[in-house]
Amino acid sequence: MKLLNRRFLALLAVLVIVVAACGDDDTTGTTADGGTGTTGAGGDCVVGMSWNNYNEERWAKHDEPAMKAAIEAGGCSYISSDAGSSEEQQITDVENLIADGANVVIILAQNTQAILPAVEAATAEGIPVIAYDRLIEDANTFYVSFDNVLVGKLMAEVIFDLVPSGNYIIVKGNGADANSDFLREGIESVIGDAVAAGDITIVGEDYTDNWAPDLAQTHVEQWLTQADNDVQAVVSENDGMATGAAAALAAQGLSIPLSGQDADVAALNRVALGTQSVSVWKDARELGKAAGTAAVALAGGATLADVEGTAEFVYTNKESGVATTLVSILLVPIPITQDNLNLVVDANWITVDELCAGVTAGSVAACP
Amino acid sequence: MSVVEAPPTQSDTPEQSTRRSFGSFLRDNEIDTRMAGMIALLLVIWVGFHFLSGGTFLTPRNLWNLSVQTSTVGIMATGMVLVIVSRNIDLSVGSMVGVVGMVMAILQFEWLPPLMGLGNQWIWIITIVIGLALGALIGAFQGSIIAYAGVPSFIVTLGGLLVWRGFAWLTASGRTLAPMDATFQLLGGGSRGSLGETGSWVVGGVACIGIVALLVLGRRRRRKFGFRLRPMWLDVTLGVFGCAVVLGAVWVTNSYYLPESIAREVAEERGIPWPQGGLQIPLGIPYPVLILIGVTLVMGFIANRRRFGRNIYAIGGNPEAAELGGINTRRTIVKTFMTMGILVGVSAAVSIARLNAAVSGLGTLSELYVIAAAVIGGTSLSGGIGTIPGAILGALVMQSLQSGMVLLGVGAPMQDVVLGVVLVTAVAIDATFRRRTAR
Amino acid sequence: MTSEMTARAPLVELRNMSVSFGGVHAVNDVTVDLYPGEIVGIVGGNGAGKSTLIKTLSGAQRADSGQIFIDGEPVSINTPRDAKALGVETIYQTLALADNLDSPSNMFLGRELVTRWRTLDDSGMEDAARKVMTRLNPKFQNFKVPVASLSGGQRQGVAIARAVHFNARILIMDEPTAALGPAETEQVRGLMRRLQQEGIGIFLISHDIHDVFDLAGRISVMLQGKLVGTVNKDDVTMDEVLAMIIIGKLPEEVTKTELEQLHG
Repeated sequence: MKLLNRRFLALLAVLVIVVAACGDDDTTGTTADGGTGTTGAGGDCVVGMSWNNYNEERWAKHDEPAMKAAIEAGGCSYISSDAGSSEEQQITDVENLIADGANVVIILAQNTQAILPAVEAATAEGIPVIAYDRLIEDANTFYVSFDNVLVGKLMAEVIFDLVPSGNYIIVKGNGADANSDFLREGIESVIGDAVAAGDITIVGEDYTDNWAPDLAQTHVEQWLTQADNDVQAVVSENDGMATGAAAALAAQGLSIPLSGQDADVAALNRVALGTQSVSVWKDARELGKAAGTAAVALAGGATLADVEGTAEFVYTNKESGVATTLVSILLVPIPITQDNLNLVVDANWITVDELCAGVTAGSVAACP
Repeated sequence: MSVVEAPPTQSDTPEQSTRRSFGSFLRDNEIDTRMAGMIALLLVIWVGFHFLSGGTFLTPRNLWNLSVQTSTVGIMATGMVLVIVSRNIDLSVGSMVGVVGMVMAILQFEWLPPLMGLGNQWIWIITIVIGLALGALIGAFQGSIIAYAGVPSFIVTLGGLLVWRGFAWLTASGRTLAPMDATFQLLGGGSRGSLGETGSWVVGGVACIGIVALLVLGRRRRRKFGFRLRPMWLDVTLGVFGCAVVLGAVWVTNSYYLPESIAREVAEERGIPWPQGGLQIPLGIPYPVLILIGVTLVMGFIANRRRFGRNIYAIGGNPEAAELGGINTRRTIVKTFMTMGILVGVSAAVSIARLNAAVSGLGTLSELYVIAAAVIGGTSLSGGIGTIPGAILGALVMQSLQSGMVLLGVGAPMQDVVLGVVLVTAVAIDATFRRRTAR
Repeated sequence: MTSEMTARAPLVELRNMSVSFGGVHAVNDVTVDLYPGEIVGIVGGNGAGKSTLIKTLSGAQRADSGQIFIDGEPVSINTPRDAKALGVETIYQTLALADNLDSPSNMFLGRELVTRWRTLDDSGMEDAARKVMTRLNPKFQNFKVPVASLSGGQRQGVAIARAVHFNARILIMDEPTAALGPAETEQVRGLMRRLQQEGIGIFLISHDIHDVFDLAGRISVMLQGKLVGTVNKDDVTMDEVLAMIIIGKLPEEVTKTELEQLHG
């Protein structure tokens, strides 16, 4: 038993070292848990950011640095928290951010309705709330996002140009996320007429829990089986799920148009390779910057409508039919195809090496 | 097999005993009635879906897909059986898949190619070895805290669920890593990841010989000790039935042909001219399924034929008795969690190979599917009871329902409802059945 | 005690054993011994320290001080495994059986037979179980069912068979008949007498004074962690032993009135 105890201690020691080593890499500045973020030297002006789930590449790499830079350039300080995909945790997080002195709160909401109590509490204290990337159904919030309906429209346009008629598969995102429906709305605006006219038949369409790539793969496999591979296009609402769809298509030797969004490194590589037709690029740095700038303005006492570049956005809830009018900044996304890959390279979004891994040199303009 | 279903009550009334005579006949001959019932249920589900889907479900292609889709959960479910039998639980397996998968991806994607050259044959082997070792290490670490520090496994692995998911993200800062090494990809099935026609028949033939050999050896051993033999006709029936199932399954996988475009590529590689009517190249047994079968055999062997396995069942039955009987219960628990960790490594390898990418959210919620598979397969959460083949059947039942419902166009929310209802119903039926037979 | 017995070294001697939990002396400087083919009853009320004393011999409890001798040699027993290696087998009050396993697996719990290839030898274990059980209880046939479905007597039989199979020289039986009906109790008593004839020494822990008088040759009485004394069964009456258990006085010290009060 003594021997085993010693082994146990050795194991413990190894793990501690591993933990410490990994900790060094973590320079994101977010705290793992709610609301105990570091308060900077910004004096009275503090912007609190509540991430719903920091577990995605883009937040750390693009959104947060740009947002932080804009906030600090405006003389404010930045604190943050991560709710780890929990609706309840996020409400607590927002309360903690306010308790820690935030004058403005930016929220990337896990659930567009469940977050409302926290938003109402903040508004009651006179603290402006910015809904970041995802809508919050409260007329007092300031909505900063890419135009997600437009994202859906842009990806569908690329696919529809390639396949004006035939059998479509539509891979939708998480059912509880309003963006899934915005995207679908945009897709519908492009293909709706053709579907009604019978030129396009949708042979498979469903929500994908948590936008999970492996689940998307299983779904596409089953739809391909049911349609006996008689499918001409796959519209996937993001790049992660497109990864699963691409694997399912490859297993059947199918090379058909496939869409996505987010301009993930792996997806852009697929665009260069020709296994994905389009990834709609929302330059997250622009979004972070816009939110950061707006936050500084609001902290300085500006009203929502005073902020530069705003427009009114009307959102109608599908189930209740209640319309909410929000002040918003909606940025315009760019569809990336083989023809304009240079845009993401020029913006330092991706390196040429990453983009062109496995691509035959000269087969696309961006990979010389 | 020493872990057997509960026997008939001692005080059967005459009419009860006639009604149960078939059941007791099966029990006397060591045939697992519960298992037979589950196979029947599975067949009902399959035939039902076949008609509802307009004849798609029972096609070789769908069954082939189904087997691949079952493999990742099935592999982990075999380990979860032992964990639950030992009166523990492992909630961290989904997150462990995330971190182990991510490490295996980054090894073959970023770390190893610069050292060894892209496409080096050793890359996939080193990747797998390190992945399994990492799984074992995490499992042993969690197991040690449970066994030696006395923290309940529910708490330790609940913590693990958070910790390892965090590490999965930190490993590659949340990036999606793709594609995987060309050889490594084969582990996931896909168009090239299967054994081919001849290989599959060989595996089927060997399995068939194995079944017959086990029956013959069993008879010989029982005769040597003078124990009662099964009737000869029953052994023959079992042998014929087992072989028929195995060879039937091989036939199904061999009846699924490569899609035309891939068949053309293969023909070109092999220098075969493309014939007029097309070329039908059978896929055979997919590698992930071969791995699942291998894992099932090894885990079944550990559970039934090794002291380690027997000791796990003893701990589950009565931890105090196991300790007093001289079993090193703590070390056994550590080894159990370590075994689970290795299986997580195997499953993670299959997952990322199949997706041909690693994402930090990989395996999210799969702990629930793995536990559900074990439980539907007859594993009792109070410990001591559960079988490896049962868990595989449980995984197959769940995946059949899920894949079948996608074929029928049943929406995601309704799928969740059905799976939840099935889980509770299965356990309720099981509990009633046990109560009725175990007095 | 006969002079022949004292001439040889005892099979087991627990000398000056003490165990305390916190500040409480559960066992306080107790010495008992046991000769081959002898049954020694250890009696006392609840909390007298009987079970704790005997656990120091079975390896389930470490003693704070004291020394154990087997065949006159000092030994060190720290775990159940150590005890088993010295031929000490224990049958616990709470039956130490895994309910989900069958009787052969329970007999070999922690000491499973393995084949040449290090796989479990289930047939071998079943065979051994059949041999031992037939000796103890010829009617027993349920070798393939979990012990959960056996009767109390049959379960006790499995526990005893385990001890017999592993050639126990020293058997500790902690309330072996507490959970049994009259017929089953008689069955177990018969078993104990047979084991005694085979030369096994048995420590019988019981608070059933009839059980002890029926089986034991000598009786050691404990009260509040201390040994009141050890007496030959033939030299004392049941009342005198009761007096030892309750008021802690030896037969020669106890008065007639005190004896009468016991029945009052």
